[in-house]
Parts: sequence; C-alpha cells; structure tokens
Amino acid sequence: MVDYCVHVTIENKPGISDPEGKTILNDLVLKGTHQNVSKINTAKMLKFTITENNKESAQSKVREICDELRIYNPMVSVVTIDAFDA
Amino acid sequence: MNLESHELEELKSKIGREPTSTELQIVAAEWSEHCSYKSSKKHLKMLPMDGPLVIKEKGYDSGVLDVGDGYVITAHIESHNHPSAVEPYGGAATGVGGVIRDILSAGTRPIALLDGLRFGDIEKDQHAKWLFKNAVTGIADYGNCLGIPTVGGEVEFDECYTNYAMVDVAAIGFGKKENLIKNHAKKGDLVVLLGGATGRDGIGGSQFASDSLESEDRSAVQIPDPFIEKLIIEAILEARNEKLIHAMKDLGGGGLSCAVSETADSLDIGIEMDVDKVHTRESDMHSDEIMISESQERMLIVTDSEKLIKLQDICKKFRIDCSVIGHVTFDNKMHVKKSGKTIANISTDIVANATLLDLPSKKPIYLENIENTKSFPLLSDYSEIMLILLASPNIASKIWVYGQYDHEVGIRTVVKPGYDASVLRLDNGKFLSIKIDGNPKQCYINPREGAIGCFEEACRNVVCTGAKPIGMLDHLQFGNPKDPEIFWTFLESLKGLTDFAKDFEIPCIGGKVSLYNETPKGSIKPTPVIGVLGLIDKTPLRIQKINSGDCLIMIGNTKDELGGSEYSEYIHKFIGGKCPVVDFSDSKKNMNAVLEIIKTELIKSAHDCSKGGLAVAVSELCMTNLIGCTVSLENVPGDKLDNDKILFSESHSRYLVTFEKKNLQNLEELLKKHNVSFKTIGEFGGESIQFTADSKPILDLSVDKAQKTWLNSLKEMVMHA
Amino acid sequence: MNVGVVVFPGSNCDRDMFHVLSDVFNLNVHYCWHAKPLPENLDAVVLPGGFSYGDRLRAGVIAAHSPIIQDIKKISEKGIPILGVCNGFQILVESGLLPGVLLKNDSLNFMCEWTNLTVENNKTPFTNQFELNQKIPIPIANGEGRYFVDDETLDQLERKNQIVFKYDQVVNGSSNQIAGVCNDDGNIVGMMPHPERAVESEINPHDNKPSSLIFESLLKKMDVNN
Repeated sequence: MVDYCVHVTIENKPGISDPEGKTILNDLVLKGTHQNVSKINTAKMLKFTITENNKESAQSKVREICDELRIYNPMVSVVTIDAFDA
Repeated sequence: MNLESHELEELKSKIGREPTSTELQIVAAEWSEHCSYKSSKKHLKMLPMDGPLVIKEKGYDSGVLDVGDGYVITAHIESHNHPSAVEPYGGAATGVGGVIRDILSAGTRPIALLDGLRFGDIEKDQHAKWLFKNAVTGIADYGNCLGIPTVGGEVEFDECYTNYAMVDVAAIGFGKKENLIKNHAKKGDLVVLLGGATGRDGIGGSQFASDSLESEDRSAVQIPDPFIEKLIIEAILEARNEKLIHAMKDLGGGGLSCAVSETADSLDIGIEMDVDKVHTRESDMHSDEIMISESQERMLIVTDSEKLIKLQDICKKFRIDCSVIGHVTFDNKMHVKKSGKTIANISTDIVANATLLDLPSKKPIYLENIENTKSFPLLSDYSEIMLILLASPNIASKIWVYGQYDHEVGIRTVVKPGYDASVLRLDNGKFLSIKIDGNPKQCYINPREGAIGCFEEACRNVVCTGAKPIGMLDHLQFGNPKDPEIFWTFLESLKGLTDFAKDFEIPCIGGKVSLYNETPKGSIKPTPVIGVLGLIDKTPLRIQKINSGDCLIMIGNTKDELGGSEYSEYIHKFIGGKCPVVDFSDSKKNMNAVLEIIKTELIKSAHDCSKGGLAVAVSELCMTNLIGCTVSLENVPGDKLDNDKILFSESHSRYLVTFEKKNLQNLEELLKKHNVSFKTIGEFGGESIQFTADSKPILDLSVDKAQKTWLNSLKEMVMHA
Repeated sequence: MNVGVVVFPGSNCDRDMFHVLSDVFNLNVHYCWHAKPLPENLDAVVLPGGFSYGDRLRAGVIAAHSPIIQDIKKISEKGIPILGVCNGFQILVESGLLPGVLLKNDSLNFMCEWTNLTVENNKTPFTNQFELNQKIPIPIANGEGRYFVDDETLDQLERKNQIVFKYDQVVNGSSNQIAGVCNDDGNIVGMMPHPERAVESEINPHDNKPSSLIFESLLKKMDVNN
C-alpha cells in the first residue's frame, strides 16, 4: 500500500452556465490587454492523499467517496479525477 | 414536454389544423399546471382581491397597494420546491431571483425578502440536512449579492418533506405611484429581450414543476447569477425613470412562450418574433428549446424605436445584452419565425388560456378520527420537557439562518428578524410590517382551520408591531390535485382563507398555487403559507428591554387544543387531536385591543403565542431579555385545563404583553373597554423561567441554560452529528 | 463640501451611503460611476459596500482594476480623505491602497450581526471626534471580512498607528481582531462594519451617536481644510 495524490476537479456540466468564469473573462481579463483569451471556466479542486494498492484503485476509491458523500451534485456538476504518485 | 392526448385534440380543434412542433412546445409549456393554474383557477376567484388600497393594472405579476403620499408597495410570493429538492443551492437562489423580477416588472424597487423553508427531519436525515444547509446558502448568496435584505421568514421540519424541499420566497417592492409601469402597447412597438443569454438550463422546468418528483434524472436545473440580476434591476429602474418602458414581464416558468403569449393576451395585442434574434449561450440551440428555455435573469420589455436607443445605452452602461426579438401586431396572434419562416402562428387567447378543470374532491378518510383527543401522562415537573422543546429544530432560534442573510442593507429595517414580524421604514414616514406563516401540522389535521390559523398567526405577528393588516399573500402548496382527497384539502384551505379574508376585510393581493408536491413516500401535508402586510401610520412599537418588576398580561383564551402542537408531535410523537380553531369575533376584538394599547405607549413589548404554546412564548421573552419570570397557570385566561394543555396548547388569538407595573391599572381599563379576555399572569425578575400551579412549581429552568440551548441547538444540528 | 460615492457594477450600499451623507449630514454628494473619470472638485471620496462584480474571483479584485482606482490613487496623494466600507475596504486592499487582505470569515458563512468596535486611532479624518478606546455599536455584514496580515506587517501597523478599529471580541478570526486600518499617511481608512447603517436612531437598536462621529469627524476635517 502506498500513498497516492488524487485531484478531484468539480466543474459545471457542459452547457450549464458559469457566471463566475464569464465575469472573470469579460470584466477582468478582456478589459486588459489579453485579447487572445476566449474562455474561462471556474472549478473547485480537492486534493486527496489516499493509501491504496495502485493508482487505479486510488482513483476509483476517490470516485466512490465523491459519489457517496455528494461531494459534487451530479445534477449540475461533473468531476474529473486524476491520480498521481504522491 | 407533452400535452395529454385530450389536450392535443382540444388544441387541434381550436386551431383547426395540426399544430407545428414549436406550437406544441409553446402550448405544452403554457398549459402546464405551473403556468395555467388549470386545476385551481376556477376556485381561486372566491378570494376577495379588492380593497380601498389595492391598485389593479393589467399584466401585473405582483400585488400593488397604495400606502399614501404618492407611494406604493408591491408584493408577491413564489416557490421553487421541485428545483430546490434536486439542487438546493441553485433552486433556492433562482427562486429568490424569480420573485424579485415580478416586483421589478411593476416598476418598483425590491426592498425586502422573506423566505419559508421546509425540509425533512434534520435530526435523523443527512439528506434533509444537506438540503437545508445548501438552500440557506443559496438564498444568502443571492439576496446578499443583490443588496435586498432578507428580513424574515420561517423554517420548519417535518417527516412529510423527507427527500423534498419547500422553498417559498416573498418579495416586497416600493416605489412612487407615478412610476408604476402602465402596461400598454401600440402597433409597431418593439419587443425586447433583456438580460442573461438563453441557454439549455431549465428546459421544461414548468412542466417539471407540475410533475411529481419521481426520479432525479432531470435536467431542469437553473444556475443562479445574482450579479446579472443586480445589473438588470439597476438598468430597468433607470429605464423606468426615463419612461422607456411601455410594458414589461419577467421570464419565469415556460420561458419566452409564456412571457410572450401572456403579455400579448393581457394587452390584447399580437406579437411577431424571430427566434434567431434571441441572444443564446450556445450556438446550436433548436428553436423549440429557445422558446421554452427557463434560463434565469431575463426580462421582456415592450418599447418603441425612439426609446429603444436610450434603452440600449442603459444596457451598454450596465454591460447587459438586449435583443429586439419582435414587434407588436394587432392580430392577437403569437407569431414565431425562424430565419423569416413561420414556425408557430397561433391565437394568444388559445395559448394563454388553458381550459380550466373542475376536479372532483372527496373528504379524505384519514380525517374521520384524526381529531379524537389523546391524553398524555401528567407530570409534576415539565422542566426537562421544556428544555427538549427549546432545543427542538422547529422551536430553536433560527439565528443560524437569518444571521447569514444581510437583513440591514437598504437601511429600512427597524424591527430585525427574530421578533414577531419585521418592520421597514418607508419614505413617507410610515412603516410596513411583514410576516409569513405556515403550519402543516395543523393543516394536516384540519385543512380549513389550519389554514385560517396560519392567516391569523401572520396577522397576530404584524399586530404585535403596531400594524394594521392591509393585505395578504397566499401560497397554496399541496400534492397531486387529481387525487380527490388531496383536492378536497386544497378546497377546504382555500375556503377557510376566503372566509377569514372577507370577515377581516384583508384583500388577497397576490398568490401562487404549487401542486404535485409529492415525495417518494406520497403527498406532502397541506402546506399553505400566508404572508400578511401591515401598515403603521405613525410609530411602530419600539420594543423595550424588560426589567425586574415588570408585569406580563395574557390576552386571549387558552383552549383544549393540543392537535398539531409541537408538544404532541415532537414530545409524544402523536399526530392528531383537536386542531386549534380561530374564533373570528374574539380574534378581531383581541387584535383591536392590542393595536390600541400599543398606540397608548403603555407597554414594552407584545408577543404572539404560537408554536410551543404559552411555555415557549414566555421563555422567548425571558431568553431575549435575559431575565426570569414567574407565571401562575391558574391565572391563564380560558377554561380550567390540565397543566400540559395550558403550557403547550397552541390556541390562536393569544398575545403576551409586557409593561411597567405602574401602567397596570390603565391597561386593565383599556382592555376591559375592549371586552377581551385577559389577566395578569406573571411578573419578571430573578434568573429562572418558572411556572406554578396551585402555588407549586411545575417548571423551573435557568434562563441562561435555556437561552444557550435555544440559541445554539440548530447550528449544532447542522454543523455536527 | 463635495463628497463622491463611487459606484461599481454590483455596489449595493451606494444609495444608503448617499442618503446618510446627504440627508443626515447635509453634504453635496455625487455618485461617481466607475467607468467615468472621478470629478475633480471632490473634498472626500467614499467607496461603499456591496458585491462589486458579484465578488467573483475574490471580493474587490475586479473593481480594483477599474480605471477610476487610478484617479483615486492620484487624489489620495493630495491627502484627500478616502473611506472604504465593507466591499469598499476590500477594493482598497486589493488595489494596494491599504495593507493586508480580507479572507473568508472563519465560520465560512456570511455574517450579519451587531458588534462592538474600539477606536484605536483617533487621528484619522474619520475618527478625530472620538476619544481613544471609545466603543461603537455597529453592524457587520460580510462573507469575506477576516482581516489578515503577516506578523511583520502587523508589527509595522501597530508601530505606525495604522490600526483604526478593533472588534471588542473575536468575531471572524481577524488578525488581532482588526476591523479597520488606515494607510501610512492616515487619510485612507478602510473598515468592514457599516457606519451608514448605524447613524440613525430609528434603525439602530443600540446607540447611534458613536457611529455618527465617523461622519462628524469628516465634517470637522473638511471644515479645517476649507
């Protein structure tokens, strides 16, 4: 058993609006000189450190936790789960 | 989204041809229960809606009251139950947004919010806790950001809401009468869509709200954007000041379909529009999706081409989008085009007026024996029970909730949350008092008397601030109306409210019906929520701190009415017993007496006696003033009853009045003149809440301990365990 | 005497501040929209509370990039009194005009309640009418109101007498219970509590006189300047 670092990124489903990202883009970034930026999406990231047998099981265990504890609401959000060696 | 087969046949016969797919979508949205009120509308007409202060204008989504000196108050109530049950944060927040735009539509600035929240048992149910916590945050994040104070509300927990959420929001607006939007339109006027982009969120929401919540697999979730709502408010009010708006409507349930058809129908005009002109969030949206999308933070405005330029300048200033989507015609048709090609062309009269139903009703079987009383074992000491009640989720202080709401912004809030009703100062020197109340426990046992009780309780709260009730908002929330037993409870509640409103001459100025509130375990209890607005011409009762030696008078009779009480349901887990009944004549006498003694400035505070009965009401006075009190039960007005009934019965029309002893004689004379039932029942002092019966103590609780328990209990329930 | 109330998209205490300055203290008050240059004749500037740009990314950060902030910087160098309340304080901090940062309250919740302040510096244009250590009952209403500075800066603030107000008790986890600070010159003051909600007795359940002294201090200062 080893420690893995698992990143959970929670963001709105595609097609669901992201007012915060839009405000940061329009009222901050595009008001400056950075006209080549076309989109900003906000997300929340949780970093888990978990002890598991391998990367795959670390990833699936964290997914299980996220689903079970409603760490994200599947009605509006999607999660991306990436595991790394700690 | 689908029409029922008989509705489809009806539509075909009305238009004399096959409807197009867009027409089908438009009509299905507009004929849904949520938009058409088809089950309830026939009956709602019984409520009195006129009064000396009521201002009526076609197309208003909110009630308007004349408060004198050229000023008006607007008020409306809405719920967002289904969306909040699946996504409590966004559902509750967008619920706030919707009702605010109804206030804005009349041309008034929103100045206050109140919300009624109901969930399952948060002590046992993690999901109920999650719903509660997120709904509160959603409301806080939305209202706070807009700078509209949330000044009051109520929170209740009952197992009938397991896996469900009831989120009711009432909004109050204020403005000059001359600035009210006089909804009108001329041929050639332009139809403008202003605000957020139209996206796929909330597709089919109104239909969703009209279905029972069977599965979570729904996409009708709306994302709140309070920042754009704030910009819309400021832009619209600036446009109103510049007189740029001929007519205005908020986009709510049913999206463009409902806003366009209802505007056209109420103004007796036609509207021709092109879906390609609508600013959308995604480029690949189908025209039907554009017509029924329930994306939030959008307003429909009718203006003319000259004013449009100024309106566009204002929108530019606030960086909000505005698109001219169509124009006014005189054929009374809703004509929708895409790239110049007609995709819907149908009489607005047909779209906006679904055939009203006359659903069957039948007295529910469960009601036959429910009011049979049950006696509970009498105790010699109720201190422990009292402490349990003060910690119980329905009675514990709601400071954890209202402490998260900005209730001061706008600098109008004279009486803050946590008291009977909230009081706002108005620009003409008068004061507005507001409260919303519900009581599903009593409404379940007796739908008629329970509903009247909610109405009277809201009146009592407003009266306690020195205000005379001038208007009522009703929000009638029930299960599936096609079940005759449920429909019967709806009708009974409505009849009760009508009788009270007529007798007390309090017009219903706005309301809402929300049906199909069902959980996996069945229907919710009947949940009418009543809002009452009161007006104070001169000064509101300024609550003064109670000192040692001050006295306590109780006005109104305590009766053998433990049905639906917290004592019966929370302590003894018994649903049933005699539901409290309002005696109209006593109720009126008591209200008038309390209003007069407030005017004479003889008293320090007036407090309504309701949830948890006399014992809780006295404790609340002690806990908020950090002082003890001794009450003799034999002095409590009413028939001779068992001690538990005197302590915990939730009989209506009762008030607790505190005052300096030297005013006793004057007060007694005044109350006698009003011919009300009253008696001095106690005196303040010491450090404990004490009740005695025949000179023997039967309840003795330290104020300090009671206060800590009462203040912290709800927060602990949410944060821990 | 002319006072400017700066309005950003999402400001929501601008009207309250305007009312207090003009109707209670009889000043000539001008709304200053963020996209326009700051008028030149101002004797004082107030940045009111609210949610500029919806508090997105971080409260105050987007407004801090508005062009009007450059104008405010310029006039602040002339010693003109500038007050930031709540979101106005957050904007002043994010634009570097005041030291420190404002973080999420340690309850993680928005907090709306009445609290007590102690005046720690009575030499600023907004506190010159107070006794040192005088108490002010005043409401707070914020989600990101926890003032934070590192130990070194804290020492410096104390040495240079830049702490203007402290909470009487632990409210939100602020460093040293700081509720308001000023710049090195003392003409820019930022505070989280809302004095404009506390100066009228009708809506102040405690005592409205102490909060009024914040504005009376400004009147005094401007009187001296003119």
